Amino acid sequence: MRHDVARKRRPAFTHLIWWFLFAQGGIIAAILIPVHVLVQGILGPLHIVPVVDRHYDTWIRFLGNPIVKLYLLVLIAAPFFHFAHRLRYLLVDLGVPAARTLPAQAVFYGGAVVITGVTFWVLLTTAPLSFG
Amino acid sequence: METVTSDVVKEPPGSAEAASAGSAPRVYKPEMPLGWWLRQRHYFLYIVREFTALPLALWLLWLLFEIQRASTGPKGYYPPESAAFVVFSVIVLGFALYHSYTFLSLAGVIINIKLLDKPIPSRVIVLSQFAAWFVASVVIAAVLIGFAR
Amino acid sequence: MAEKRITIRTTRFDPDKDKAPRLQSYDIPFADESMVVLDALNHIKAHVDGSLSYRWSCRMGICGSCGMMVNGIPKLTCNAFLRDYWPRSITVEPLSNFPIVRDLVIDMEDFMHKLKSIKPWIIRKQEYPLGAGEHRQTMDQIDEFRQFSECINCMLCYAACPVYGLNNEFLGPAATALARRYNLDSRDQGIKERLPVIADAEGVWECSFVGECSVVCPKGVDPAKAIQQTKLDTTMRFVLPYGNRDE
Repeated sequence: MRHDVARKRRPAFTHLIWWFLFAQGGIIAAILIPVHVLVQGILGPLHIVPVVDRHYDTWIRFLGNPIVKLYLLVLIAAPFFHFAHRLRYLLVDLGVPAARTLPAQAVFYGGAVVITGVTFWVLLTTAPLSFG
Repeated sequence: METVTSDVVKEPPGSAEAASAGSAPRVYKPEMPLGWWLRQRHYFLYIVREFTALPLALWLLWLLFEIQRASTGPKGYYPPESAAFVVFSVIVLGFALYHSYTFLSLAGVIINIKLLDKPIPSRVIVLSQFAAWFVASVVIAAVLIGFAR
Repeated sequence: MAEKRITIRTTRFDPDKDKAPRLQSYDIPFADESMVVLDALNHIKAHVDGSLSYRWSCRMGICGSCGMMVNGIPKLTCNAFLRDYWPRSITVEPLSNFPIVRDLVIDMEDFMHKLKSIKPWIIRKQEYPLGAGEHRQTMDQIDEFRQFSECINCMLCYAACPVYGLNNEFLGPAATALARRYNLDSRDQGIKERLPVIADAEGVWECSFVGECSVVCPKGVDPAKAIQQTKLDTTMRFVLPYGNRDE
């Protein structure tokens, strides 16, 4: 047990930002994800209700809406900052102290940044913008 | 900033003369067992709460793939149908509900808002968050179903 | 009627002889319904084995000295009644996550350093002479921090915290709760002196909100809440414009 003999203590701004994104992503995941899983993952495939992604025509028109594009970007990208943070600390909890290091932070939070970029690109290229 | 120093190895009170350089450690440092989270219900539920991130991440990756698949055109597109996918979604829904329940309950304890100089009770904040979750779910479901025509 | 008895197993560790702690069993009379675990230890020391070492002082839940693991849960032994365990046996171990000095005595040096590092006293930019009068507070201002000031430094929260157990550098629950107690005090002006410690990489950010610290606290302090609120407040200080200005 060393007592930080010489290390100077100062506010850790990167930790602050990752925590802030973790909290934002967590609340977005909590409020938005369950209904998508229920409707698109269970009720739709079981033909209990009609769902927008069951037919190509409705799905592509839906994806063309700019508000839908923005919404899906938030729905998919924001939670990944939450997941990255949680899974990194889960590894620490399960006895992988290496998950605390800077390279591990780069991998996990970098992964969330990459997924944000991929989502952005997929949403831009999949369906042409339409306001109908 | 003050700095504090202390030796790595401590001597128990009253036996300073017994400790000499190179002698056996004077204290026993217990190691945290790898299975610490299996020893108590509360720790186990905490690990489950943290683990919810993995199934939720997988499901969102599926959704991203589903969006990307729409670019293959009307011929190549087929809606998700398999029983395996429904089972997967049912499992994910369980974790998703657990995440929502724990996150909204805990976030309500943290948020500290004052109204007219009086702090709002955390019970009120938690309830309003659950209400927001319910309203958002109804609206999203209506949109996902309504735009199917 | 046969005399009621209870089995107490305690950790024994003699740094001169033992490589690792071991458990020793004592069968003692459970004479009185009001007996607590600390009474049982005192009985063992007085009548069975005088070499058993442990800390205690007030035996009334004020001093915070007699915290130990009772059947795996951190408790003040003066507040853990035998009647809640009997007829099961009771295992008493030193507080988890701390080095063991001897038997049930842990090394609390690390906690003492952490406690001191957050400067748990009222800091003023400029001290007024005593003659200038008192610093007044309303009841609402006191309510802001009152629960966090109940801490008796018993370290049960550190024993319950897996984050501290995995990484001893973590500032930990009680120290953060006390930092918040002073930061929320309307008389205090020292937040900028504490911020480098509480918002450090080994400060509040390490906490993953297990929440067990608040469960085991014998004084009803909510350190988990203090830590999460500190995260939020600290973030707002640096995210909002002018958030980090002097009050």
